[in-house]
Amino acid sequence: MTAIDSELKILLEKPLNHLVERAINEGMIPIGYACSMVPEALISVGKLFPVSMRAPGSEGTEMADLYLSSVICTYARSLLEFALDDRYKFLGGYVFTAGCDHLRRLHDNLDYLKKPGFSYILDIPHKTGGAALEWTIEEITRLASALEKQFDTDMSRESINKAIEKTNALNRALSAIGTLRKSKHPPFTGTQYHRLIMASRVSPAEYMMPLIEKFRKTAEDSEGRSEYRARLMITGSGLDDPEYTNIIESQGALVVADRYCSGSFPGLEPLDSSSNPFEALARRTLEVTRCPRMMEGFNSRAEYIAQIAEEYSADGVIIESIKFCDTWGLESAALTDQLRAKGIPVLRVEREYRQSGEGQLRTRVQAFIESIGH
Amino acid sequence: MITAGIDVGSLTSKAVIMKDGKILSSIILKSKPRPWESADLAINGVLEKTGLSMKDINCCVGTGYGRDKIPFIHQARSEIACHAKGARWLMPSARTVIDIGGQDCKVMKLDEKGEMVKFITNDKCASGTGRFLEVMAKAMGVELSELGELSARSKNPVTLASACTVWAQADVIQHLNEMIPIEDIAAGINNAMASRVATLVSSIGIEKEVCMTGGVAKNSGVVSSLEKTLGIRIKKIRRDDPQLAGAIGAANYAETLLNGGKI
Repeated sequence: MTAIDSELKILLEKPLNHLVERAINEGMIPIGYACSMVPEALISVGKLFPVSMRAPGSEGTEMADLYLSSVICTYARSLLEFALDDRYKFLGGYVFTAGCDHLRRLHDNLDYLKKPGFSYILDIPHKTGGAALEWTIEEITRLASALEKQFDTDMSRESINKAIEKTNALNRALSAIGTLRKSKHPPFTGTQYHRLIMASRVSPAEYMMPLIEKFRKTAEDSEGRSEYRARLMITGSGLDDPEYTNIIESQGALVVADRYCSGSFPGLEPLDSSSNPFEALARRTLEVTRCPRMMEGFNSRAEYIAQIAEEYSADGVIIESIKFCDTWGLESAALTDQLRAKGIPVLRVEREYRQSGEGQLRTRVQAFIESIGH
Repeated sequence: MITAGIDVGSLTSKAVIMKDGKILSSIILKSKPRPWESADLAINGVLEKTGLSMKDINCCVGTGYGRDKIPFIHQARSEIACHAKGARWLMPSARTVIDIGGQDCKVMKLDEKGEMVKFITNDKCASGTGRFLEVMAKAMGVELSELGELSARSKNPVTLASACTVWAQADVIQHLNEMIPIEDIAAGINNAMASRVATLVSSIGIEKEVCMTGGVAKNSGVVSSLEKTLGIRIKKIRRDDPQLAGAIGAANYAETLLNGGKI
């Protein structure tokens, strides 16, 4: 597992990794996005490919702090800092959603300070239902037209369905590996799987597939892990740094499931590529992402987490939220109560986007594992 | 059966030697920059007091922020679990334990058997921790241990505008420059500290008996202000020094280990 893990690590060191560089040299166009509600398949059509925006190794947000207030989360601030530092200059454009106010402010500032060749913000309703679906279909159709116009890419239904198939194939491959975590002795750690997922979100699918296959084969040949004290699930705000998972695992835990917007749940569910692709994409955004920004469905979101915890035999759940995250900040309080009422031990932690307070996190996780009797 | 518990904290390191559940000797000293240096000093110091040597210790458990860097321990345990365990040894009726250490503050809830069922810790900032008091005492030019006694003499405590250590320090300096009596400033500091800790205690829910461990438990000003803010009585630990709770808990865990128990 060490060799493939090292390859994945390299892909996560900086936003412009060697696979993205290779794709750009071959005429492909990277499109940045920063919310799981963005339909990734739509920005995978033709020569386009999605790059999940991260700020690996962020050392501070001095410049971004001048433009974004201190109650804007450090994820949004770190992305702005990286953009101001020209570390996202390689992108052909950005697609955002009005997922939360923090991302909206980020989008406004990017537009004002570093106007890219293409910038689009999708307006997604906070409710599901017929009218919301119709609205989202229209929004996605408009985005498709804008992408077609800007990048001269064929946005016919056939092309989009082809891109959906490509995205589905990538997600199916990741999902099949993820299922191995259900085993009593999974052949890889949560950190290694986190790296695989994140590398797949920041690299073109075509070039990632051989690496995913290599990971699968290596996993197949590896011995199962038995040296852990507790199986844990992580849920909460976007968590794109596998080092966080590593700190949790350093205390004797094995992270067996994850449900956060940049993780494997619920993002890997395949889309219908046989009918109207705009509707399939809109349904994914509204119904599959299960983001707490949606006004309804708290019970079903909580149930979903409890169900995954059970399926993957998690002994407890860690709910992490980035400081000032409105959506997860509110959700996590109610979610903690709901999960505890079901008898699931919960540890709730606030964090900054950038790795900090490592010692405290270690202590809390260790105490959590001890408190659940492991 | 002789066990040792060692708690390498950010400000102080503590060690205890216990024999059949009773403390033979203990030590509290200022931590060195490297946790293993603090651990060596603490264990050697505490052994010297008893005339024992390391080979006489049947089992040793480590805790505190430097727990993973102590070379001679048999196992490391989180300070949250150790403080809960130690508090229960110090006061068997304790159900809520408030521990204020050098750089963190934690509240633990125990069930009737003394098992920890819930815990909460402060965030990363220094407010509500021993470091806050240390910085304020330094700004005032008094010893940390004097803060409690000083605040007891206060007639008109000041209100600090912020619980942030940096801003509160600026506030303290301003009050000193305005010639406000030092007792009133000390009381203001203890009140600010108590109000910060009270938020944490309230969020976990209080169950009687409540006790306090850690170095700040010895500051009577913070304890009485906390009692007033929360409207509860905090039972004073008398069996031994409350600052030793983590080390005592670690030694108790060492005993459990020796008895073949899982910790």
